[in-house]
Amino acid sequence: MYKAVIIGGSAGSFQVITRILHSLPPTFPLPILLCLHRLKHVRSGFVEALSIKSAIPIIEPNDKEQIKAGKAYLAPANYHMYVELGNKIALSTEDPVNHSRPSIDLSFITAAQVYREKLVGIILSGANRDGAYGLKKIKDLGGLAIVQNPDECQVRTMTEASLKMTPVDFVYNTNEIIKFLQNIKA
Amino acid sequence: MATQRMQVTDQDLLYFVNTIKSTSRYDFSEYSDKSLKRRLQKILEDYNLDLTSLLTNLRLDKDFLEKVVKEITVNTTELFRDPPVWHLLRSRILPRFKSNKTINIWHAGCSSGQEVYSMMILLNEMELLDRAKIFATDLNTDVLEIAKQGVYKYRFNLGYLDNFDKVIKHNPLNFEEYNDVPYEKYFDIDKVRDTITMKKFLTERPIFRKHDLVVDGNIFFAKFDLILCRNVIIYFNYSLQNKVFELFHSNLYPKGILLLGMHETILGPWATRFERLGQAYIKK
Repeated sequence: MYKAVIIGGSAGSFQVITRILHSLPPTFPLPILLCLHRLKHVRSGFVEALSIKSAIPIIEPNDKEQIKAGKAYLAPANYHMYVELGNKIALSTEDPVNHSRPSIDLSFITAAQVYREKLVGIILSGANRDGAYGLKKIKDLGGLAIVQNPDECQVRTMTEASLKMTPVDFVYNTNEIIKFLQNIKA
Repeated sequence: MATQRMQVTDQDLLYFVNTIKSTSRYDFSEYSDKSLKRRLQKILEDYNLDLTSLLTNLRLDKDFLEKVVKEITVNTTELFRDPPVWHLLRSRILPRFKSNKTINIWHAGCSSGQEVYSMMILLNEMELLDRAKIFATDLNTDVLEIAKQGVYKYRFNLGYLDNFDKVIKHNPLNFEEYNDVPYEKYFDIDKVRDTITMKKFLTERPIFRKHDLVVDGNIFFAKFDLILCRNVIIYFNYSLQNKVFELFHSNLYPKGILLLGMHETILGPWATRFERLGQAYIKK
């Protein structure tokens, strides 16, 4: 039914992402694209920290790397991460968008253009508005839009901005996001 | 906000690339679509033009075309960008050249020069600078001018100093070693004018030239011990990447080294012609 899941998060999303990755089976049938804001100069250790509890491998991809099911691709620090036709990752060092590099909007928009109605987009806790437009784009192109319940978020700016811009499909707590992903089909 | 009011289509991109190709020597037909589309989008928004007007202006006005070409290229860079790569250079790559009489280095896609100055600073700390011949090229002559001046913003670039500390003051092979190399040895910081200015012994050393990796070959009549081409090929498609790898391979000395960006790799036929050492590719 779906071809990929893309997740965007910023301040307050690290623990949520960790819980989600911890709860997925190693046989997870889709690729997961992760676009998370982090400090530009803190690059080592992030993948390792996420990997400790994750059943699926987490990769900071190279440019033009083939996207495969059952793996999580984390946008490398200081690069934008795009999805290209042919199911490949593309990286870019273009100027920050919404003061962010990686920008969630850019990852979401390019993924939406490639996967269209076969994409699930999820916006988590965060302190800016990056991602709101990207989630709208996913919805516009027929994909499924999920937003973490702002009441559960450490910082609610990003989820509220998303809800304001798009009539999303689901507003879920972390547990419900996990349950949804555990039942998702390729 | 990344609102994309007018969505650039594949057809738009094709018209744009063809117009540039037919009216100049620039050829973007083998650039990576995604980034090129975004740059075109930005150009249309910045100049507030529709595609037809943009194409007309490109055909009629050579200066405008040059300006647009400059805006297509991405010029992100910083001093000692990605410190782990500089640690690799310091510990595993540059020591290979210690017995060389000369060390020829080409920075392909040098942008505004921060990588070139980083290299010279590191070479000097390793007592190799006197032997080094530094060649640096970019497609964009505006950024080359900045590179030649070696003057950068200070406040916006405080990360430069952190990177300098990580690469120059700390020894990657021995974390207990700390060399308090003063910044003034290599550049002057003027907090009032908000500038970092590279010392003259650095700015006068490199040869900066305009160069287009798509159409120009080796313009220096020299072969190289080390070629740096970081975060450039991410903007090229697979076929153009292979052409560039061929150009680099044929202009490296045996055992010469090609250094790519942190998240770039050689895929395809040229992979077997190099031996890999982290981000460095050693010519077989």
